[in-house]
Amino acid sequence: MNCEVCQLKELEVEHFEIREVLRCILHTIVFHRALGLVRPKDVDLELFEITYVQCGDVELEKKIDEKIDHFISWVEKHPNKKSQICLSFYEVKSKQPSWFTNKTERLYWEQWYVNLNVTQHPKHHSSKSHHTKLIVDPGESATEERSCRRAMVEASLREVLFQIIKFVNEKKDHVPPISEGVIYFPYEITIPSSSDSAFGMDMIKRMLHSGHPTMLS
Amino acid sequence: MEMDRESGKLEQIVSQFRSKILHVILDSRVPSLHHHHHQQQQESLSHSRVRKTDKWFNLVLGDRPPALENRNLDLFSLRNLFDPMVIDIILVHRGSCSSSVDNLYSPSAPAAGPADETVIERWVVQYDCPRFIATPSGADACVSYKKIYKKSIILLRSLYTQMRLLPAYRIFKQLSSLSQTYNFDLVYKVSSFSHPFSREEESGMKEYIFAPVEALSGCLSVSVTYRATLSDFNLEPLVSLPPKIITDYVGSPTTDPMRSFPSSDKGAHATSFPLRGARPPSSSPFQRPHSWSSGFHRGFPSTKTQSLAGSPPVYRTSPKPYDIASPPTDLYGNRIQNQRVSTLQQVTAYDEYKSSPPFSPSASPSTPSYLSGTNPLRTRHCSETAPVTIPLPLTGRSTRYLSPNSSDPSRHSLPPLSPRSSKHDASSQESPSGIRSYRKIEALRAGESPSGLSNNYSAQKVVRDSKDDSGRFSALLSSSGSPRIGFSRSSSRLSFQDDMDDCEFSCPFDVDDVDVSDSSSQNTEGKKASEFTAQSNLVGKKSHDAAVGILVHMLRTAPPLRQDSSCYSTHSLRTEYEGGVSIASGFFMPRKTADALEELNSYREMKDLLLSKSGTRVVRKEEIK
Repeated sequence: MNCEVCQLKELEVEHFEIREVLRCILHTIVFHRALGLVRPKDVDLELFEITYVQCGDVELEKKIDEKIDHFISWVEKHPNKKSQICLSFYEVKSKQPSWFTNKTERLYWEQWYVNLNVTQHPKHHSSKSHHTKLIVDPGESATEERSCRRAMVEASLREVLFQIIKFVNEKKDHVPPISEGVIYFPYEITIPSSSDSAFGMDMIKRMLHSGHPTMLS
Repeated sequence: MEMDRESGKLEQIVSQFRSKILHVILDSRVPSLHHHHHQQQQESLSHSRVRKTDKWFNLVLGDRPPALENRNLDLFSLRNLFDPMVIDIILVHRGSCSSSVDNLYSPSAPAAGPADETVIERWVVQYDCPRFIATPSGADACVSYKKIYKKSIILLRSLYTQMRLLPAYRIFKQLSSLSQTYNFDLVYKVSSFSHPFSREEESGMKEYIFAPVEALSGCLSVSVTYRATLSDFNLEPLVSLPPKIITDYVGSPTTDPMRSFPSSDKGAHATSFPLRGARPPSSSPFQRPHSWSSGFHRGFPSTKTQSLAGSPPVYRTSPKPYDIASPPTDLYGNRIQNQRVSTLQQVTAYDEYKSSPPFSPSASPSTPSYLSGTNPLRTRHCSETAPVTIPLPLTGRSTRYLSPNSSDPSRHSLPPLSPRSSKHDASSQESPSGIRSYRKIEALRAGESPSGLSNNYSAQKVVRDSKDDSGRFSALLSSSGSPRIGFSRSSSRLSFQDDMDDCEFSCPFDVDDVDVSDSSSQNTEGKKASEFTAQSNLVGKKSHDAAVGILVHMLRTAPPLRQDSSCYSTHSLRTEYEGGVSIASGFFMPRKTADALEELNSYREMKDLLLSKSGTRVVRKEEIK
């Protein structure tokens, strides 16, 4: 089985937008991969005029929120850095136990890379003002800039959601069969760890477990 | 045998898929169905039961809307499986406010106004039969059936998500909120064929085709054509306030009955309009908030039902508690009828309002028009007055008198008047002679045209004053060099009563009219004396502005000074002067020409000051000699 990989469009977000953006994207992906009996739950974003859908599982929501909290902590320690969150779906396969490997292995059949560029709050650009002295009304132009920026982020987020829908529609053959009583496929959310090298080690570990080379699209 | 069973399962999947998609679409686009559905879902959630229909495609949506339950099942029947299912989401947009005003004067016009219907989304679900149908073996057929079912589940998930990202979802959310009603609605139409879009419609639409689910016996495809933007439509909320009777005007809790106006004898129904920045209308009768709303909003009844008598099959919703429109089996036309009835009442009310002086388009920020059943204007006219601007003599009248927006007939009228008895302050400061002349003018004008237009004109002048209100006049007066007439906030409202009092003074001071009547002014003075005597109580309430203007004109055309005690009656005046000569008392004493000239000059100064404050140029007149 091939592992389908989807690199989502990079989003430039501010610190306070991370939680909402990640919730929206991760839950949307999981909803399309929660093929068991679900009761969909519409969630309206507060920062943007977007409604996404959750599959309504409380445990899933809790786990996603935990991961997002970890990610936010990481971002606070590594400001102004591009980061990537990986949501992987796998199958658990049992294998012959050996000295170096576990009894079970994970076969990743799909990986989603959420690319974020977390920026700090932009300062008011003095270049916009032609005066060297204090700007008469910085509040108004800053508000306009903020709303313009917010609209751009919303449009980008919408694009990402459409990208997810498109990917989900176009690639269906690799999705494993639905097991009875299972709501969603086993998944894993990988966030950058404290160092980049450690993040790379996580990737290598995954490769060892899956036994498949990671294909980057 | 087994293949037939599998084939039957496949067809069942397709049939259920079409039903489920329709359920998803209606649940996300038709507010009335959504409300009904949501209530049921709340109940079902509490019982944690999953219906058989919910288990299809592992998507729990709750009970199907009644439209789906009672519907014609042809679209889902197996024999029509290969017919496309076309679901049109139609935006029913009622006319804008400006166009709706025209219909106010023609009660026979459709109450809902012109309703534009635009297809904003078209979903097409199709199961195409391939040219060559492969005949799989038993095991393959089983696998095929399960794979198709899995892919159908994924397709349904993506469709469910996409529905919330399309522009129409925002409209649906607006309509779903029960806090407001809007001038638009969403209805749906399901059919097995689709009318092609015009070129113009197509230009504004985008298409998205979901990846089809291919089966051996067919290909299940879903596509949507949608309007990329809905900003072209003037979608706005409507009045959410129920019709209400107000019986009092701003600022005054008490009212006195007024004389009936010629056009106010019709039965009237209350009409309420949105207020901006105003306190909510009181439940007590004859109470009106302070602020006015601009524009006229026709209140549409709640129209949560959406259905069209279009191409079959058409599915109508059952009546909902909040739906005040048609009974369940009524078609769209009947719904309009109900709307017409309710709006007709409002139209009648507005006609009543418009034709009854002094109400006219107002320039104030918000103007709710509240009408009572019988002669509400009478009461309102007695309640309060509004300041009247001093018109510029010989410089034309209308444009200067009217406020910038008062020419708009759709504007609301003025607030009613304050009580006659409670306001005696500033009007008592007026010169009786001036007041006499003013009343003469008003009497003449009252006979001119009882139509709404002239009343509107007068009210427009008053509107301007009421808009500016006493704040301006107070400032003007306080800054005048020799204020001889005090002015207060309450008195400014009283000045409105100058115009509206007793149907005779339906318009404010107008110099030109006085000019016309000049030739007979002297002769009719004596005749008017008795009239003034009878209305002596009102003298005290005349606005100083009107009085000043009248006085100026009167002095210009005054006969030789003479004493004529029969022309003046003793008035019980309560005066408030901020210094200066007590005009009322002085007028009863013999005066010399010099005194009169001095008085004239003082009035002229006052007038100039007021006019300069109001931003109008003062046209100096030749001194009366």
